[in-house]
Amino acid sequence: MTTPPTGGGRAVLLLRLAGPLQSWGDRSAFNRRETRPEPTKSGVIGLLAAAQGRAREDDITDLLQVRLGVRVDQPGTLLRDFHTVSDYRGRPLLQAGVSAKGVQKPTSPAKNTHVTQRFYLQDAVFLVAVEGPEALVTALHDAVRNPAFPLALGRRSCVPTQPLALKPHTGDLDTALRETPWQASEHARSLHCRRTGTRPARIDLAATVDDPDGNDVLADVPQSFDPRRRAFTNRTVRHTWLSVPTDIPNPDPPDDTDAGHDPFVLLGW
Amino acid sequence: MTVDRRAYLDVHVIQTVPPANLNRDDQGNPKEAYFGGVRRARVSSQAWKRATRTELASHVPELERGTRTKRIAAELASRLGRTGVDGEQAQRLASFLLAPLGIKAGKKAGDTAYLLFYGHRQLEDVVDLVAHRAPELAALDDDALTTAVKDLAVVDKLKTGHPMEVALFGRMVADIASLNVDASVQVAHALSTHPVELEFDYYTAVDDQNLADETGAGMIGDIGFNSATLYRYATVGLHQLHANLTDTDAALTAAAAFVRDFARSMPTGYQNAFAHRTLPSMVAVMVRTEQPVNLVSAFEEPVTVTDGIAAASAVRLAEEYQRITNAWGGAPVHTAVCHTFDEKSPAAGRIREILGAASPFPQLTEGLAGPLAAAMGWDRTA
Repeated sequence: MTTPPTGGGRAVLLLRLAGPLQSWGDRSAFNRRETRPEPTKSGVIGLLAAAQGRAREDDITDLLQVRLGVRVDQPGTLLRDFHTVSDYRGRPLLQAGVSAKGVQKPTSPAKNTHVTQRFYLQDAVFLVAVEGPEALVTALHDAVRNPAFPLALGRRSCVPTQPLALKPHTGDLDTALRETPWQASEHARSLHCRRTGTRPARIDLAATVDDPDGNDVLADVPQSFDPRRRAFTNRTVRHTWLSVPTDIPNPDPPDDTDAGHDPFVLLGW
Repeated sequence: MTVDRRAYLDVHVIQTVPPANLNRDDQGNPKEAYFGGVRRARVSSQAWKRATRTELASHVPELERGTRTKRIAAELASRLGRTGVDGEQAQRLASFLLAPLGIKAGKKAGDTAYLLFYGHRQLEDVVDLVAHRAPELAALDDDALTTAVKDLAVVDKLKTGHPMEVALFGRMVADIASLNVDASVQVAHALSTHPVELEFDYYTAVDDQNLADETGAGMIGDIGFNSATLYRYATVGLHQLHANLTDTDAALTAAAAFVRDFARSMPTGYQNAFAHRTLPSMVAVMVRTEQPVNLVSAFEEPVTVTDGIAAASAVRLAEEYQRITNAWGGAPVHTAVCHTFDEKSPAAGRIREILGAASPFPQLTEGLAGPLAAAMGWDRTA
């Protein structure tokens, strides 16, 4: 299982993030906890740090050197979860705000039930590629397969399904994302075949990769998970489409007549 | 956290719930989710955790349980009674003992500013620290008392041994991060193993006193409900539980208590309207030393049989377990199963083949301590 680190090469850790529910928040706090449509860098680094058994206060600078790529294999849909909080003894809840002394005050007039909205992605599958020094990737792969804390897809109740860690890739990030077969569920595959009336050998999937020359900025790079010093910085990313093998058995022969751009494919028409 | 040995205790439950509305959204309807492309019944993890915790509280001895109290100082003062100081003296001594904790005082005398979730046992430990010389301490003046209690391990007592509920479900104190406790339990949202449609119970309520004059209903309304066979999953990180409780026997007791109460508890939403309290059709527990494994993928393709959904779901679960173990290795070091299917039925046969012979539930929970202790490399005193 463990391959000994071999010098200063680069390698790519591949994670298949799938489960009934996932939630990748980036800026929401308090009552309304939203989710991004794709896993965030802070979420993935948090998962890896948890696998290694790091405490929230521990240094994570070595994990920040990795390059992240996220491929959307099955986008899923948005789920809004209505969640109430109350004190089981029937006492009033505390305010979100604090007094001058930094102490939470009880609500006035007394409020007994607190409503929060939590958003999840349901029925989604992502392929996440983490490119870094080979020794680090090997250590992370071992950690994910023997995690110190139970791992979660963005929120503790979002338990991942297996397999979580795929075989590490020895090439670069973009090749890994392009060559790893489509990870969607059996249901999503058959639905795709039925809707398009084809058995395609390849499928176009959306991906977001760390790229200094990219054209979009995401503010989800954690500086520390210490609850007293939480801070995030930006990363520049490139959004792209990748042609990926589907691994569907007995695929149609490649269609040479339709080489042009077909925008309706995106709509599933 | 430095951990040498790790053990996860996975709990898988297949449970059939009759028409019910266990956990509702802001429309008043049962919660749902899409999985494998079909609509499923869902019960949120927070709802079932609360039910588990309430169940735990109902029969774990008070000393083990801990109470979430704003009145830690008053609680401590009353316990100091057994050392021979009482009244104002005890209150004064209690507040001095808690001073090194740095918890800000609340508005009312004796209250702290937070809901603190300490164990009764921890408070007793603090009392033990001063038990042999409490009257002597109480007689000291403020400066001398501050000096005298400074070297007592009050903070350590309160920080190390966490009561069972805190050790399992965690604690967060927003502005004293050092008092936070990471939960050792992870609970997934319960999902139905099969497609579920939301249904409505339209009801009319008649006015019992209105015998002749009007024939209409007193009120009308509707309640959303569904019935489902649920897959419920939770895992306990034994190493984390031990780190929270600092005691191997307490960790083993808490793990067994969690399994029992997670399996037997039921959220109480609309309980009087539906009387939905059922017990699981199957509980399977697995002790793993590599990683916890959620088997919900067994139901990504929904179960579609029209009779015996629970048995079909249980067989699916066992077969998914077998497939995952064959493909990825890492078989559990201990597996035990309890189910209510007829021992002669094909489902029971298949489960026996894969997961081993079924045992009664009390035996299943009692049988956990040995394998868990072995996985963690603990010597058991009991």
